[in-house]
Amino acid sequence: MERISDLIKGDRTIWIVVVILSIFSVLAVYSSTGTLAYKYQQGNTEYYLLKHFAILITGLVLMYLAHNVKYTYYSRVSQLLIWIAVPLLIITLFMGTTLNQAPRWLTLPVVGITFQTSDLAKLALIMFVARLLSKKQSQIKDLKSAFLPIIFPVLLVCGLILPANLSTAAVLFMTCICLMFIGRVKMQYLLSLMGIGIVGLCCVVGLLMLTPSQGRLETWKNRIEHFVSGDTEGNYQVQQSKIAIAKGGWLGVGPGNSTQRNFLPHPYSDFIFAIIIEEYGFLGATVIILMYLILLFRTIRIVSRSPGAFGTLLAMGCCLSLVFQAMINMAVAVNLFPVTGMTLPLVSMGGTSILFTSIALGIILSVSKSTGQEDTVAPKGRRKLAMA
Amino acid sequence: MSKMKLSLGKMDVRKDILWRVYLIYFIICLMGLGIIYQTFQIQNIEGDKWRSLAETTTTEIHKIKAVRGNIYASGGSLLATSIPNYEIRFDTQLPALTDEIFNANIDSLAFHLAILFPFKTESQYRKELVKARRNGNRYHLIQRSANYNELKALKQFPICRLGRYRGGFIYKQINRRQKPFNQLAARTIGFDRPDVRPVGLEGAYAQYLRGVDGHRLEQKISGGVWKPIHDALEVEPEDGSDIVTTIDVNIQDVAHNALAYQLSKNDADHGCVVLMEVETGEIKAIANLKRSNSGAYYEWYNYAVGESTEPGSTFKLAALIAAIEDGHLTLEDTVDTEDGSVQFYDQVMHDSRQGGYGVITVREAFEKSSNVALSKLIYRCYKNNPQQFVDRLYKMGLNDPLGVDIAGEGEPMIKKPRDNDWSGITLPWMAVGYEVMQTPLQILTFYNAIANDGRMVKPQFIKEIRRRGKVIKSFPTEVLNESICSRETIDDAKTMLEGVITDGTGRNLRNSTYRIAGKTGTARIANGKYGYKYEGQYSYQASFCGYFPAENPKYSCIVVVNAPSKNVYYGNQVAGPIFRDIADKVYASSIEIHENLVDKNPESWARREDGSSPMPYVTYGFQDDLEYILSRLDIPADYQDMESTWAVAIPKDSIVSIEVRRLDEDIEKGKVPNVIGMTAQDAIFVLENAGLRVRLVGGGMIVRQSIKAGSKIYSGSEIILELS
Repeated sequence: MERISDLIKGDRTIWIVVVILSIFSVLAVYSSTGTLAYKYQQGNTEYYLLKHFAILITGLVLMYLAHNVKYTYYSRVSQLLIWIAVPLLIITLFMGTTLNQAPRWLTLPVVGITFQTSDLAKLALIMFVARLLSKKQSQIKDLKSAFLPIIFPVLLVCGLILPANLSTAAVLFMTCICLMFIGRVKMQYLLSLMGIGIVGLCCVVGLLMLTPSQGRLETWKNRIEHFVSGDTEGNYQVQQSKIAIAKGGWLGVGPGNSTQRNFLPHPYSDFIFAIIIEEYGFLGATVIILMYLILLFRTIRIVSRSPGAFGTLLAMGCCLSLVFQAMINMAVAVNLFPVTGMTLPLVSMGGTSILFTSIALGIILSVSKSTGQEDTVAPKGRRKLAMA
Repeated sequence: MSKMKLSLGKMDVRKDILWRVYLIYFIICLMGLGIIYQTFQIQNIEGDKWRSLAETTTTEIHKIKAVRGNIYASGGSLLATSIPNYEIRFDTQLPALTDEIFNANIDSLAFHLAILFPFKTESQYRKELVKARRNGNRYHLIQRSANYNELKALKQFPICRLGRYRGGFIYKQINRRQKPFNQLAARTIGFDRPDVRPVGLEGAYAQYLRGVDGHRLEQKISGGVWKPIHDALEVEPEDGSDIVTTIDVNIQDVAHNALAYQLSKNDADHGCVVLMEVETGEIKAIANLKRSNSGAYYEWYNYAVGESTEPGSTFKLAALIAAIEDGHLTLEDTVDTEDGSVQFYDQVMHDSRQGGYGVITVREAFEKSSNVALSKLIYRCYKNNPQQFVDRLYKMGLNDPLGVDIAGEGEPMIKKPRDNDWSGITLPWMAVGYEVMQTPLQILTFYNAIANDGRMVKPQFIKEIRRRGKVIKSFPTEVLNESICSRETIDDAKTMLEGVITDGTGRNLRNSTYRIAGKTGTARIANGKYGYKYEGQYSYQASFCGYFPAENPKYSCIVVVNAPSKNVYYGNQVAGPIFRDIADKVYASSIEIHENLVDKNPESWARREDGSSPMPYVTYGFQDDLEYILSRLDIPADYQDMESTWAVAIPKDSIVSIEVRRLDEDIEKGKVPNVIGMTAQDAIFVLENAGLRVRLVGGGMIVRQSIKAGSKIYSGSEIILELS
């Protein structure tokens, strides 16, 4: 025990949150892959359980490795990663594997692993933006020397992700805006950027409604139309999700007893939150939400002790993108938000996104390691924050 | 302003950053609260609505259809089986099927449909589909019954190949019952469909054939797929058992065709044929044909089982047997046929020959089928005690239904003197087969009992019921009456029946190879609706019932032809030839009922001067066959202690010498074997198995082969065999 706890460094609470979410993940994925197992594996549900379990373990290993790296090192890594991520995104856009009509996946030659390039790009961009923001803190309010150099890679990467995966691009863009906000970029730039973004989005939506469309555009169009009109009869997924939530009640129907998993199209990824509510009830839902809020709270605590701007921005960026994604996924499940293809980080099944999420958590922990040293210097502030 | 910000100290920068972080944290906490509130709302405010919706859509109990058993002929041929068919429909209103897709592919789809199902043209298909789409039809019928290959082809067509959820093509599997032999015994095989009264063996053995449907709980999952939930309630279907009938397809084929030919030749309305094995009562063939409006004949109603009519002259046998059994008559008693007519009360009985037959014996009266003689004889014997006559007929089981498994057996009817409709003329008319009712199968069963030396057995349609190849129930012969009359009476009856063929009305059935015994019959029939006249004419029922070979009866058979509208209505002329065709075929193919040739005709088996028999010309072929034939014919043979598949038989002076032909060895060595002297059947078997292609020229035995024996075999090359 002693040795294990010696090996594990950084914020203990984050480790615990990760373990709790992983347990939920294993239970919910095992329960909800029944349909998938019936369709593709002759009813062998253990296939998906073991596969998912293996990925979670790999994720923990990656997280461990990532948290052992000194966080300042990521500043330099980001320069390399951004140069890898952008060409990969372009390749994916033109020759990626189509899943649900969106070319999001790229099969790595030689290894044969399929992965979503946007996950890599997301991490790369957050690290890169954190680097730029920290480097330019001295002239951060300037347009030419600070704002434009920072906003350019953001727009480039988000623009490349957007055609295949609107929601990921939106969450990433939002994360970057928040980072810039935290990084003290001039408010008027940010507000005008958001204004442009909203106007642009409206144009896209308007165009969608007017043009006869097919493929991915058609899917977006339908989703938006269904959400706007509130036509639940037409929106099968939302309807089934609500049934799952309603069935759950306060304490849920119990692990493995979900029936809605058979009706929801992606019970193991997009709608896993609904399945968790059905099986573990209102209580389970509250626990999951709390886990993400605790994760964010702990990160803020780390940040408040971060030795430098880069550490702050890096940890916040990693955490925010994860928590934003989680909130949106859950908001979709409870029909607060139109249906997107967002997974619930760390909980949903889906190989590569879990691995990249784990790396992001490892980076947060890596930052937390350095604050640990500072903690001894200023123990007073800790108490203060804990009370807040 | 910017200068001021720039000059902020490190701690101020930290503070500046932190309030921004807390702001974002606050916003995200609000989002979390929003999600929790919405969850609460769905669960508690809208909860009942969603939960009740869930009840209706989740699970259903689905039936799993059991596969119906097959019906086999006695030789193993399939008489009825279930074949999957597909009903194909088209959902023209599928959202995924946009105008763009529909318009781009409709021409091509119509074109392919017209090729696959050519009963509509391309433009008809096109119009029909466009119209269905305009009308909003979500279940438009394309084809009610497509087979598996058609379905496979259809799945490749434009629009169809997009599948159910993009193209809108819907297909449903329906297992259709098919009879591989089409019309052969179709009515006897019958059918068992929902909402229709079942018919024939399909109906009679439905409880075995149907099996037990299973059921299981299934859940609807995304994509409209039903997923079984394996639980304790699941019941596996139990497939139906197979039924092996007694029907012999080869005989059935002959019976069917002979009947169809004669019916059509005589422009008859309907007719039936039943062939029964004497000892067991097994029905080897049963054909029932009715003329359709187009003039073709088809299986429409099981006349043999269901049509109870006045049998006419075939009933004379029963009347005479009764009188003989009761000791009132002997075959040599005489009767005067007067002028060919006799009056009973106000009715006159006529003979078919004008002027009558003079004074004749009982036997002659039967052979010539004299109505006057028969009615006078029976009237003479029983006028004081008609009850005795009726009792005797009852005792022979003529008033009891046979109780066959096939539903709808016609009720026999024999009046009793106590009955209200018993009149003075009933007794003499009964003597000639009127005022009684019998089905063809009942008459046949009676004749079969005579052939079986008095033992009346029940007609049997089913041999056994099998389940996964194992016999689960077999049907032994059922005896209805151990002895219908004394042995002496049986012998008299047989004598009379043989006399009909040798000296009486059935002379046209005589032949030299085997003897037939039987009775012709012609009845003017009363049709329930039309009385004795039908479509302005008298309706007639021509029949022939008998058995063969007469000396050792193996099969009995009845032929009934109804309402022949041409003048040819005598039993021997209409029904007789059908009987003859069937009997010839059955006789020719049943070697076991043949008489020993030597016993039958010693003269033709000419002896040579020294008293020895000349050795017959024997052929070259399968050794087992040669041995069987030679031993069967009692011809001495010298096998030289050898074992070989193929052999050639060479006639010597007083013995046949069997010599080996090592065909298989030649072929193994890749050499063309010598097939000269073989039959074409054997030669084709040997040579084509060796990889050669055989062409035959002429007929008879093989006298020449185009590739010399011993040459190398080149697979696929042609060998010409000359026969003579």
